[in-house]
Amino acid sequence: MPLFQSPSPVFPAPSSARSPARGWLQRLYDDLTGVLGRSPERVVDAAPIAPAVEAATLQEAALEALPDPLLLVEATEPNDLTGRRITFANAAARELLRIPASGALLVSAIRHPEVLEVIDESLFGAIASETPYEPRSAQERVWRVRAAPLPGQGRSADGEVTRRALVHFSDETDARRAERMRVDFLANASHELRTPLASLSGFIETLRGHAKDDPQARDQFLRIMTTQAERMSRLIDDLMSLSRIELNEHIPPSGACDLTLTVLDVADTLRPMTAEKGVKFDLKLPKRGEALIAGDRDQITQVVQNLIDNAVKYSPSGTTVAVEIVTGLTSEGATAYASNAQAMAAAGGGRLSLLTPDRAAPDAYVLVRVADQGAGMLREHLPRLSERFYRVEGQKSGASTGTGLGLAIVKHIVNRHRGGMLVESAPGLGSTFAVYFPTPARSG
Amino acid sequence: MMTANEHTLKFFGEELQQLKAEVARMGGLVEAQVADSIRAVAMRDVGLAQLVVGRDQKLDQLQIDIEKKAIRMIALRQPVAQDLRRTVAAMKLSWNLERTGDQAKNIAKRALVIADAEPLTPLTRSVERMGKLVLARLKDALDAYTNLDLDQAMGVWQKDQEVDEHYNSLFRELLTYMMSDPRTISACAQLLFVAKNLERIGDHATNVAEMLYYEVTGEEIVGDRPRWNGGEGADVDRGFA
Repeated sequence: MPLFQSPSPVFPAPSSARSPARGWLQRLYDDLTGVLGRSPERVVDAAPIAPAVEAATLQEAALEALPDPLLLVEATEPNDLTGRRITFANAAARELLRIPASGALLVSAIRHPEVLEVIDESLFGAIASETPYEPRSAQERVWRVRAAPLPGQGRSADGEVTRRALVHFSDETDARRAERMRVDFLANASHELRTPLASLSGFIETLRGHAKDDPQARDQFLRIMTTQAERMSRLIDDLMSLSRIELNEHIPPSGACDLTLTVLDVADTLRPMTAEKGVKFDLKLPKRGEALIAGDRDQITQVVQNLIDNAVKYSPSGTTVAVEIVTGLTSEGATAYASNAQAMAAAGGGRLSLLTPDRAAPDAYVLVRVADQGAGMLREHLPRLSERFYRVEGQKSGASTGTGLGLAIVKHIVNRHRGGMLVESAPGLGSTFAVYFPTPARSG
Repeated sequence: MMTANEHTLKFFGEELQQLKAEVARMGGLVEAQVADSIRAVAMRDVGLAQLVVGRDQKLDQLQIDIEKKAIRMIALRQPVAQDLRRTVAAMKLSWNLERTGDQAKNIAKRALVIADAEPLTPLTRSVERMGKLVLARLKDALDAYTNLDLDQAMGVWQKDQEVDEHYNSLFRELLTYMMSDPRTISACAQLLFVAKNLERIGDHATNVAEMLYYEVTGEEIVGDRPRWNGGEGADVDRGFA
C-alpha cells in the first residue's frame, strides 16, 4: 500500500481529456514552447501521438517530453503539509525524484528544506525564487530549482481553495564539475609531483657538483632521472584521464560493448608482461556477443586493463590470474557471487563493496571478476582502495610503476556506467576484484 | 452518508498522513543539517557551521510538535494494529532524527575549531568521503520511509557495517597522523570526534530502517546486525561521544 495516498490520480495520461487545468496548462505550454523555440510538430516527433489528438492532450505530451524536470504543485493551507501535492510531473521529474506513478505528496518526493521553502514562497507569497539543489544519488548532480506562482486559484475536490506553482529544475552539474575539477587537479598534481621533482633537482645538483667527472655515477643518475620523469608524465596522464572521467560521470554512456572481446583484447596486450613475469591467465568467458553491456568501449577497456594489469603486477612468478565473466545476475546476485567472505575474514581479510549502484529498473548485470594469487591485503585496507593515491603499506608493486590512481579511475568509470565494484582479499589468499555493469535495455 | 465510525477512520487516516509528512519534512531538514555540517568541516566554512548550530533549535521544536501530535492521536483515537504502529513509529523516528540533528550540530561545533587550525587536506577529504557515505544511508532510510519500501530498508540495515569499517579505517589513519606529527594532534582529535559523530548518524539511519520494518510488518528484523569488530577503532567504540 502506498504511504501517501492521493485522493485523485495525479499523472494525467496523455489520453485524459478531463483535466480541469486546461486553461493554465495552455498558457504554460505557450510560454514553454516560446521559450524553447520548439514548434509543436517537433514535440510530437519526440512522443508520437495520433494526429487527431485534442489540444490539451498535445500540451500535456509536450510538457511530458521536456528534457528538464518540471513539476506542478498544488496547495491549500500553509500549515497543511498533506495539502501540498504534485499534480503533474513530467518524465524527467519522475526519473529524478522517483515519484511513485500514482502520484504523491510533495514532501514524499522532495525533503530538501530550501527547495520546499522556495516552493512555499511561490505558493503562498506569490514570489518567483530559486535555490540550488543536490539530490544525493550515486552520481553527484547539481540542479537549480526555480519556482514560480501560477495565476488563478482553483478548488480541490473538497471545495477548498487551492494555489498552484510551477517548479522547474535545470542541470548545473557541468559548471560545478568543471570548477571543482580545476581545484582538484591543481591540488593533486602539485602534491604528487613534488616528490619526483625534488629527486630530479637533487640529482641535477649532484651532477653539477661532485659527480661531474664520474661517468659511471652520471649514467646511473641519468637512468634514475629518466624513471622519475616517466613517472611524472604517467601521473599527469592518469590525473588528466581521471579528471575527464569525473567530468562526464553524470552522463550515462551510450553504445554497447562486448566484455568477452574486451577481456581477450586486454589479455593479448598484456602477454609480453605476463611472459616476462611467468604469470599465466585462466580465462572463463562466455561466447562472443553474450556478455553485452551498455558502455563506452574505450572506458570499459580501461577498467579491464587496470584490473588485469594490477593483478599481474601483484602476482608472484608461477601463479595464475583468473578472469571470469558471469552474465544474467541481479545486483544482489552480483554482490554475492562466488563469495568466499568467511574464509577471507578468518585470514584477517574480507569482502567489501567499494561501489553500489542506485537501484535501477531492469535489475540485470554482467560481472567481470579478476582474481590473483598474490600476497593479499588486510581487511583494514579494503574500504580505501579506490581512494586516490592510497597505498597499502609494505606492498611491492614491481618497482613503483603505479601512480596510485588505477582503482580510482576504475571506480569512476564504473560509477558512470551505473555499475558496482567489489573487492575480496586476505593475506595469503590473494585478491579478487569484481566489477558489474548493467546490461543494455532490450530494444524491440 | 458516512457513519460516525467511518468519519473517525477517515480523520485518523488524514491525521496520520499529516504526521508522516511532518516526519518526512523533519528528515529533510536533518539531511540538510548533516550535509551542511560536513561541508563546513571540508570547506573550513565558519559561517555555515554557525548556521547549522543555530538551526538545531528548529529541529527540537519539530520533534516536540510531532511527539505532541502523536500522543494526542493515541489518546483521542486509540488506534490499534498497524495504525498504532505507524503512530508510534512516527514518534520514535522523530526522536531518532532529533538525535541525528544533535550529531550534526556537534560536527558543526568541531568544524569551528578545525577551521582555526592548519588545514589537513587529505584527512578532511577522508572525513568528507565518510560523510557522503553516511548521508547516502540516511537518504536511503528516509526514502524507504516515505515510499514504504521494505527492500530499501533492509538494504540500509545490511550495509551498516560499511560505515563502521570506514570509521575504523579513518580512526587508524588519524592515529598514524598524530603519531608522525604531534603538532596535528589537536586538529586530528577534533576530526576523530567528527568521524565518531558520523558513525553514530549511520547507526541512526539503521534505526530508521528497523523502525520502518517494524511499522510495516509488526516484527523485528531477524538476525544480528551485520557487524565487524576487528579493528582498533572498534575496541574503543563505545568510549566516545
